Amino acid sequence: MSLSRHWLALVGERPGDAAAAAPVHEADGTPAGFLAIWTRRAKPRPDARRIDARLLDHEGAEAHVSLVRPPAGVRLLFDDVAVQHARRAVLAAPPLDAVTTLLSDASHFEGSLTVARGDGVARLADDPFARIFPARLLRVGAGVVGRLPAPAGPVIERYGSAQPWPQDRFAYS
Amino acid sequence: MAPASGETFPDLVLADHAGNQRALSELVAGDPAVVQTYRGWWCPKEQAFFRKLVALQDEMEVAYTRIVSISIDPPPVAAAFRAGLGARWTFLSDPERVAQEQLGLRETTDTVHHPYVPAVFTLFPDRTVHRAYDGYWFWGRPTLEELRQDMRAITRAVRPDWSAPTPSTRDEGAEGHPGAAP
Repeated sequence: MSLSRHWLALVGERPGDAAAAAPVHEADGTPAGFLAIWTRRAKPRPDARRIDARLLDHEGAEAHVSLVRPPAGVRLLFDDVAVQHARRAVLAAPPLDAVTTLLSDASHFEGSLTVARGDGVARLADDPFARIFPARLLRVGAGVVGRLPAPAGPVIERYGSAQPWPQDRFAYS
Repeated sequence: MAPASGETFPDLVLADHAGNQRALSELVAGDPAVVQTYRGWWCPKEQAFFRKLVALQDEMEVAYTRIVSISIDPPPVAAAFRAGLGARWTFLSDPERVAQEQLGLRETTDTVHHPYVPAVFTLFPDRTVHRAYDGYWFWGRPTLEELRQDMRAITRAVRPDWSAPTPSTRDEGAEGHPGAAP
């Protein structure tokens, strides 16, 4: 069984054990902590979530992101029709720099991170996943998130229930 | 010459509908795929065939199978056509007709547009052609049922757990999709 070993969390202090971390600011410039990615088998902290492993890029430029997370205590199945439709909406729209869903187990949708730069930044306000749970629009410093090829489409399924969509192949592929 | 059954489809590198350079090998990745060439948005036969593919999309999207459409339309035209259809797969643009020449798929009878000959190829993940369909005449194109049969045959061949894993095969260490019900 192969799992993504890349974990992401928005944290208050720069973590010393992360593979990458960069300061984060709200849209109005207010500091909002650090976006950190860890690469390890075990969850590095309780609020960390699995991400598409391709997202980590130490050379990634500063970016704007839409970070969608469920409210505390709220859980929603990844296979929920609302989450299916959000994935379809992502595929239908012009691609942004990167997108990953967030997971902590095999069953639940625990949010998403969508990355944009340049002309795409304005479209973060229409993040399809933000129709499910609240989104925070943030600016992330360089050295954490890169640019991924757009999902080929039309597949909306995960390639193994512990692999965040749109990671696009089975472990044996 | 267009690739025939058993041959390897070229690893084309073309701009997608958003203008990003994409390699066919990356788009097909580890899944069975339908690769289609089409004349252009203006052709009634293409509009009819695309409506069928869009209908098939509901199955393709949950079946770990992909579609790639290729034409001479530049990315903005391909993007507009894709959006109007409601297609959620990648369209590739070949306005310079480089891949068209490589594939030998210029429609010589249309001296106005010099479009692609309509053709459909069903591919294994390594881009080996399973079946090739010449769609110059509309009835040469695959029906949705033929595409389903092709996707089934390829999937059966490439998925090591095509037969559902059982407790005994798991005990023998058989590989399966991790935690998934494909």
